Amino acid sequence: MSLRPTSRDWSLANKDFAQGMRSWQIWTLMGVSDIRQRYKRSRFGQFWITLSMAVFVGGIGIVFSALFNQSVAEYVPYLAVNYIIWTFMSGVVSDSTTAFVQGTVFLRQENLPKSIFAMRVIVRNLIALAHNLIILPPVFLIFGVVPSWAILLAIPGLAMMLVAAFLVTLLCGILCTRFRDLPQIIANLLQLAFFLTPIMWRIDQLGDSGWWVLHLNPFAIFLRIVADPIRGYVPETLDYVSAAVVIGILLAITWPLFARFRARIVYWL
Amino acid sequence: MPSIDLVNATVEFPIYNARGRSLRNTLLQRVGGAVSTEADGVTVTALRDVNLSLRNGDRLAIVGHNGAGKSTLLRVFSGAYEPSSGQADIVGNVASLLDITMGMDPELTGAENIILRGVFLGKTIDEARKMIPEVVEFSELGEYVDLPMRTYSSGMTLRLAFAISTARAPDILLLDELISVGDSVFAAKARQRIEAMMQHASILVLASHDAKTLRKYCNRAIMMSEGRLVADGTVDEVLSAYGLVDEDDGKL
Repeated sequence: MSLRPTSRDWSLANKDFAQGMRSWQIWTLMGVSDIRQRYKRSRFGQFWITLSMAVFVGGIGIVFSALFNQSVAEYVPYLAVNYIIWTFMSGVVSDSTTAFVQGTVFLRQENLPKSIFAMRVIVRNLIALAHNLIILPPVFLIFGVVPSWAILLAIPGLAMMLVAAFLVTLLCGILCTRFRDLPQIIANLLQLAFFLTPIMWRIDQLGDSGWWVLHLNPFAIFLRIVADPIRGYVPETLDYVSAAVVIGILLAITWPLFARFRARIVYWL
Repeated sequence: MPSIDLVNATVEFPIYNARGRSLRNTLLQRVGGAVSTEADGVTVTALRDVNLSLRNGDRLAIVGHNGAGKSTLLRVFSGAYEPSSGQADIVGNVASLLDITMGMDPELTGAENIILRGVFLGKTIDEARKMIPEVVEFSELGEYVDLPMRTYSSGMTLRLAFAISTARAPDILLLDELISVGDSVFAAKARQRIEAMMQHASILVLASHDAKTLRKYCNRAIMMSEGRLVADGTVDEVLSAYGLVDEDDGKL
């Protein structure tokens, strides 16, 4: 079995992507239904997402600010922004493991673009992100954080993060459909990544080795280009370059893999 | 013009047991070597070198025993399975009524389910919303349309699924047995609706065990056996080759 995609594979993969993007109504609706379904019969509905985030940030914020000897007013906003962005990133990666398996009934019956199922994961997590962002204005108000114009830079940061998220979802989705041990491995790696990413702690607490954690950990890179602007800091150019490199590497791995195995996904379900 | 062309289409399913599916084994297979010969796994060939062309006006009957590859062939026609070797070119808008409840969510209301399915048919959300009155009228759901589908009886769910699935006019229609839903009054209405859909379709493919149905609706038949296409001809020719020499209409 050759691992090299044929020219037909490439064109079908590109067609899948183009058609998938055009079917935005399908993936938007699927993503919204996923969230609706999860909270359907509860009183607060999807605002449980917001509430859970508020409880976590409040609780951990107070405990860790004491632990790290930092003022609550400084630490809680720091943690809130980081943790909200982290929740999106980790949510995408962990949902990506079931992206195609979840769509089994659809994939077995109809010729739907496979990229629809990756976009569904993104939409679902974007909705959760939107609900989590609700806690930021009150947190900023309570602790007197004044956002600066730098917050606008969060938009290109988010755009780059979404591109990476789409590629990761396709990549993990394909591999996890084929190798059913991978979802467990990924769940464990995510946990590890949580501690290796400056979410609860600050990078200067690491000392000199901090530079490596920041620039070799893709989660830290994307966290900086989205979270820093929200807090009012302008990310370094190097951060954007690093993010672009990560996207480039993901593209170089994911697209050939998708071209070669796109048609096999349904056989592995 | 809608068309279906299969050239040496083969569908082979790799069967992974718990071992074969793990990453560890694949890594070991690449690195080690001794295990690899038998760890390669079992493959089930559901279709083998099928060559077939369907054009406008073809009404194809598929006959064959259970496991002969009828459903797999239908799934290849729908485009869901791209052959693992060989080619399948399907031109036209396909409606596959193999699983009419596809994608319906019991937590959503009837109306929400209509919109969801409508969007899958390629409509915009607004266009899908416009389907609601017609689907509700046909399925006779009345006010239930605004209740979650989990409150429906199984009959009501099927009526809704049928009404949604048949609310379109595809070029290519794929059926696995003639769907029959509901009580006798509704069944008659449903039969009429599906016949209209069949008539409108440029290409019809019907897999069935019922000789009478096949004779009524089809003008060409193929027989599948162990994944191979073993006979191709008129319905009568194939049915008699199948062992139904007697002109009695009956179950195969």
